[in-house]
Amino acid sequence: MSVFPVPSAFETRSNATFDAIMWALARPGMTRDLPEEGMAQIVEALIDRECAVHCANPELANVARAAGALMVALDAADHVFVEDVPLALLDQLRCGSDLHPDDGATLIACADLSGGSRVRMTGPGVDGRVELLIGGLPADFWHRRARAMRYPMGFEILLVDGARILGVPRSTVVEVL
Amino acid sequence: MTLKTLTKPWEPMSYGFLDGSAKREIRRKMIKAIAVPGCQMPYASREVPMARGWGTGGLQVSLTLVNPSMRVKVIDQGADDSVNAASIRRFIARVAGTPTTMDTLDADLIQSRHRIPEEVLREDQVLVLQVPNPEPLRPVQPNMSIARQMHADADYGRMWLQLYEQIVRSGRVMQGASYPSLVHGRHVMTPSPIPRWDVPKLHMAKHLTILSAGREKRIFAVPPFTRVEPLVFSDVPYRVEEHAELTCHRSGTRGFFMNEIPQDNGTSTFEVSDSEWGVKSIRRRDGEDVALGETWYKNGKMSS
Repeated sequence: MSVFPVPSAFETRSNATFDAIMWALARPGMTRDLPEEGMAQIVEALIDRECAVHCANPELANVARAAGALMVALDAADHVFVEDVPLALLDQLRCGSDLHPDDGATLIACADLSGGSRVRMTGPGVDGRVELLIGGLPADFWHRRARAMRYPMGFEILLVDGARILGVPRSTVVEVL
Repeated sequence: MTLKTLTKPWEPMSYGFLDGSAKREIRRKMIKAIAVPGCQMPYASREVPMARGWGTGGLQVSLTLVNPSMRVKVIDQGADDSVNAASIRRFIARVAGTPTTMDTLDADLIQSRHRIPEEVLREDQVLVLQVPNPEPLRPVQPNMSIARQMHADADYGRMWLQLYEQIVRSGRVMQGASYPSLVHGRHVMTPSPIPRWDVPKLHMAKHLTILSAGREKRIFAVPPFTRVEPLVFSDVPYRVEEHAELTCHRSGTRGFFMNEIPQDNGTSTFEVSDSEWGVKSIRRRDGEDVALGETWYKNGKMSS
């Protein structure tokens, strides 16, 4: 008879959260379902003592601090958690280098994934092209993003709307229609 | 903040063998690997109870992704029943309680050494490839710091020169397995030692491929619908192994990648390399109602 380890609630949640994040980035333009609402689960799944985090929300900052993350300024952070994105933020995010593109930051922000302005995405993970509505972001957001990055340098964007998540990796080209 | 909030309840062992920090590190690197297709991302590569070079990289990715409802298939050189595949499959099932399968159509996660199954993978499947040597530039540049700079500069001239020299010397490209391929038009990667036969299966595929080298501590990925183009000259087309006309002597299936089995009289017979495809073909021939999936190759030709 064999006994199998049973995943804890924490393990189950972070496994499901990462599954959503991974597929969100692998298939940009397709939203995925997170196990619950909010960003705390993303902190649980990704953040620990090796991370430098910038977090605008004090409650979430406490979660990240408890996970062991170093709280740092925006331009030093590898993970940035914000609710609203000021446009100037995009120019301050870490983009890594050509030698180490993995040093680029991951931006986790709130957005409205059911309405807003129409964008078209192309690039790896997109079958041809995909059009969708994204709201709650400042005007000119996608244009500023494109200007801030030069592939393979850049940053990843995870947009969270309640329990839904949309991934925009740096390889995705976003056109505003 | 109290001590209690900083600790977690005692567990006899971590689910899926790897501890939380190992999983989080691999998750963070997988995010970056998917975002920059084909670019090698360094990671820590923790110890697993298996010698480096026997699939520890793939195993760590699989252990990070598994949950009790994920059905796992493990292949070694196309076969589900070889020692490496059987022991990795048993290990994953033992530490994560996952159901296992040999049927490509039933699997959610496929960890593979050196082959991609013959049946087309779906868009909810993940293929994890074990990589012995992640650096395609190693034959032309043994210094990995310089090789990293060459990747940063997209300086792949010496790769082309190597292929050109092979054609001049031997009349054809001699690279058999791990054929260097350009991913998303930017990074050259080694697709792990899969035969040339399998490289076109990665191009604009529906499934997600994650390649992980445990000994070399590198992880890279090919997301779905990503261009994977083998390096070829415009006047020397890419050629896969000439297996289109071969017939499996056990299952009678034809037009797939074969293992050559030398005979005493100097000739050879052939056996289909994807063992489960062979098994299913035999069961279908014997009148069982077995579902055979759509295949990448039809009548020995890659269907686009």
